[in-house]
Amino acid sequence: MKFSPFHPIHLFLGLIIWAAWFVALYGGLSVGCTIAPPASDEQAGTWINGVIVAVALLVGGYLLWCAYRCLQGASEAKLQKDSRLKVFISRTAAAVYLVSAFASLALGVPGLVLSPCV
Amino acid sequence: MSERTQQHHERELRLEHVWSNLPGWGALAAVNHTTVGLRFIATGLMFFLVGGLLAMLIRTQLALPEQDIIESSLYNQLFTMHGTVMMFLFAIPVLEGLAMYLIPKMIGTRDLVFPRLSALGYFCYLFGGLIILSSLVLEVAPDAGWFMYTPLSSATYSPGPGSDFWLLGITFVEISALSAGVELVVAILRTRANGMSLNRMPIFCWYILAMALMIVFGFPPLILGSVLLELERAAGFVFFATAGGGDPLLWQHLFWLFGHPEVYIIFLPAAGIVSTLIPVFARHPLVGYRWIVLSIITMGFVSFGLWVHHMFTVGIPHLAQAFFSVASMLVAIPTGIQIFAWLATLWHGKVVFRLPMLWILGFLVVFVCGGLTGVMLALAPFNWQVHDTHFVVAHMHYVLVGGMLFPLVAGLYYWLPHVSGRMPSDSLGRWGFWLFFGGFNLTFLLMHLTGLLGMPRRIYTYEAGLGWDWLNLVSSIGGFIMAIGVAVVIVDIVLHFRLGQRAGHNPWGADTLEWAIPMPVNTYNFSSLPGITTRHPMWDTPQLVESIAAGEHGLADVQALRRDIYGSDATTGKVKEVVHLPTNSWLPLMTALALAVLCISLLVKAYMLSVVFTVVALALSLRWSWENGAHPRAAPTDDNEPGAPPLHSRTCNGPGLWGMVVSLMADGTFFVSLLFGWFYLWTAAPEWTLPDQSPIQLVPMIFSGLLLTAAVGGFCVLVRGLRRGRATRLGPGMWLVAALGAGHWALLAGQLMSAPLAPTERAHDAVLTVILLYLLLHSGLAVIFTLLQAVRVRLGYTTARLPYEPVVIQPFWFYTLGVYWLSLLAFLLLPTAWSVG
Repeated sequence: MKFSPFHPIHLFLGLIIWAAWFVALYGGLSVGCTIAPPASDEQAGTWINGVIVAVALLVGGYLLWCAYRCLQGASEAKLQKDSRLKVFISRTAAAVYLVSAFASLALGVPGLVLSPCV
Repeated sequence: MSERTQQHHERELRLEHVWSNLPGWGALAAVNHTTVGLRFIATGLMFFLVGGLLAMLIRTQLALPEQDIIESSLYNQLFTMHGTVMMFLFAIPVLEGLAMYLIPKMIGTRDLVFPRLSALGYFCYLFGGLIILSSLVLEVAPDAGWFMYTPLSSATYSPGPGSDFWLLGITFVEISALSAGVELVVAILRTRANGMSLNRMPIFCWYILAMALMIVFGFPPLILGSVLLELERAAGFVFFATAGGGDPLLWQHLFWLFGHPEVYIIFLPAAGIVSTLIPVFARHPLVGYRWIVLSIITMGFVSFGLWVHHMFTVGIPHLAQAFFSVASMLVAIPTGIQIFAWLATLWHGKVVFRLPMLWILGFLVVFVCGGLTGVMLALAPFNWQVHDTHFVVAHMHYVLVGGMLFPLVAGLYYWLPHVSGRMPSDSLGRWGFWLFFGGFNLTFLLMHLTGLLGMPRRIYTYEAGLGWDWLNLVSSIGGFIMAIGVAVVIVDIVLHFRLGQRAGHNPWGADTLEWAIPMPVNTYNFSSLPGITTRHPMWDTPQLVESIAAGEHGLADVQALRRDIYGSDATTGKVKEVVHLPTNSWLPLMTALALAVLCISLLVKAYMLSVVFTVVALALSLRWSWENGAHPRAAPTDDNEPGAPPLHSRTCNGPGLWGMVVSLMADGTFFVSLLFGWFYLWTAAPEWTLPDQSPIQLVPMIFSGLLLTAAVGGFCVLVRGLRRGRATRLGPGMWLVAALGAGHWALLAGQLMSAPLAPTERAHDAVLTVILLYLLLHSGLAVIFTLLQAVRVRLGYTTARLPYEPVVIQPFWFYTLGVYWLSLLAFLLLPTAWSVG
């Protein structure tokens, strides 16, 4: 993270990453199925499913790390004077990152069980 | 009268003089947020009655099987107009109006930050709404459903003007929504009371901030869809017709990209009312303020990822459906968090069951039921079974009426004393509630069953003996009971203006700042602008009422007959500048009238007239922009006024810059939606074809882009100088930038004129035509803005001391440059590379 954990951009950055992942997922699936559709009898064991699950883990992991950084920031801010706003921003941001991580991972779950292009 | 009282009285008279509306017909020139907000609410309620009347006609027709009170084509018009009126002309505008009325009062300021934009928005809404309704009177109302699915709404299957009324009228109304969105975002972020940091912001403001941003990102896809469909209907361009490379599903994507977030655009402010009222009547601060902020932000984003759940039956791969199914279920989590926070607040407090609280309880019951059927519908297999049945109609009404109308009525009752200075009748109000609540559940609870038994929506009659007869009859009876409930509420509200008891100060014991204002409300809200040290100012510092009235806080007196408010830091709320606002103006009304004539001329296909009124509307807008920034009429100054905080027109970070950036976010969403449409047609349209050779020549386009890049570079140099307090060769610099931009525009226009585009034959060419027009519009506007700046430099309105306006225009140049090169890449280079590959 380039920004300080107290920057208000963190209040929504996690969900922007989630949204980008969602668009890439939906758009990428269409493109993947057009360019190199896997055989329909492969069920969930296709290259597309593999990419979906791997990227979900990657995005989810990154967002979890961001949440951890914000929580760390909140702990540091608590020791400072007049830190209520900083604590508010960093804690809320940590929760937003956690929610985003959960949502990003949840989007990858169907990739474990469903065939991609049918 | 003591000298001090006399001074105080004179000070208030000066404030009244500066802030009041013009008398008589001059009231049409009012830009004040209280006036405009109340107009939005009153007009929205009128449209609600029209929509309700249409609903009663529908229920009358369906009460018994095989009735022929209303024939099928009129029935189609009725349900289309019912949905259209309720969604576009009632729900969103009335909530915007409420937000416009309340936000400045809650954040401790005197007006919204772009008052003329508020007034323009109102007139666009009024005229657009009347244009749409006129189609009903003329018996040519749209009849393809409120979602206007193609090909049903296309010229082939809807040859009359009904669909045109919808497309043009709704686009006109959406100008209003977008202007409100921009206005509210900037007002909340930049004009809060001194010290009102993000963590001290009233929870209602968080909801409205999210709603306003959702409008900014949610409405452009529908505006794009409407423009494309109207181009297809009126000029024969190909976008949604399969022959020629279009795809009707593109309309569904664009519509629901707007349509699903819209449900949350409606729900969020209503939930804001709930989060505001529950703590007041529970006599306890809202439990989990931070959790609710988290929920609001999460809902704002996740609700954009659900649109395909309206399209589960169109043949999308199962895995893709699963993504949207998961997202649809995820959105229940933030909703659940809010419901538990509300319950916890009620649990911890000592609840006072006054009239608004009754409607809140009705909301909790009805909305939770609607939410549960929503989770059921998020499951694709169940969705397939009940798609297009009355189950969906019942769910939608539970969510929208439960999630919006119940809180809205609670809010209207709650803030009524604010407007009238009187209290509503408790007994009549309770009758109204129980009739409405009972009637509503009788109508729509049973409708779930009708749907599960297989009754499709949008059929004008049905055979007897299918098991739907008694359910429909009881639903219709419930509908009429609900209508009686509405009538009782209206009678209660009307009567209270004469018969209601005088309201005492802060009659509900609220914690937010709007109750520190005298009742009935005045035009300038606060006699002096208070500093804020707590999230509950009226609970923790009740003495604010007296100290504000006594002028003990900021901007207590008028300077140079200006309408002044504070501009503050978006995060900390610390005061940074004095924002001077425009006063009463006829320009919003005149501009809206010009746009209305433009809309009507397009409807009647008088295209020359539409060109004339496009020019008139543009001229009026430029005239509007002329009296802005440091223009002496916009920012008159006294010699003896304090220099700190500075006037916003003397800074480089005024609200205009924020307004420009937020507007460009909406513009960018429009562009991205067009990009989506392009790639969607390319990858999914069954008969999409790329021509062997691009109809646009690459070399002139690159040269044109280089000229644009030079223009933007030059403009940046000038602005950098201004930011550093230098204005060397500012005037000639502006002329040079405008000349470079004009050269770029001319080359681009030449390309459009000379290219062998066939937009009526190929979707590929139709999209290219639209993108070229889009680029021309932006480049042309940037050049005009810069030419105006060159003149203003000569007149001394833009100088090293007055750097405001070029700083506002700079992002527009950046945006124009960005979309130009991106378009070149996506619309020209990529297809060429693809063809070669």
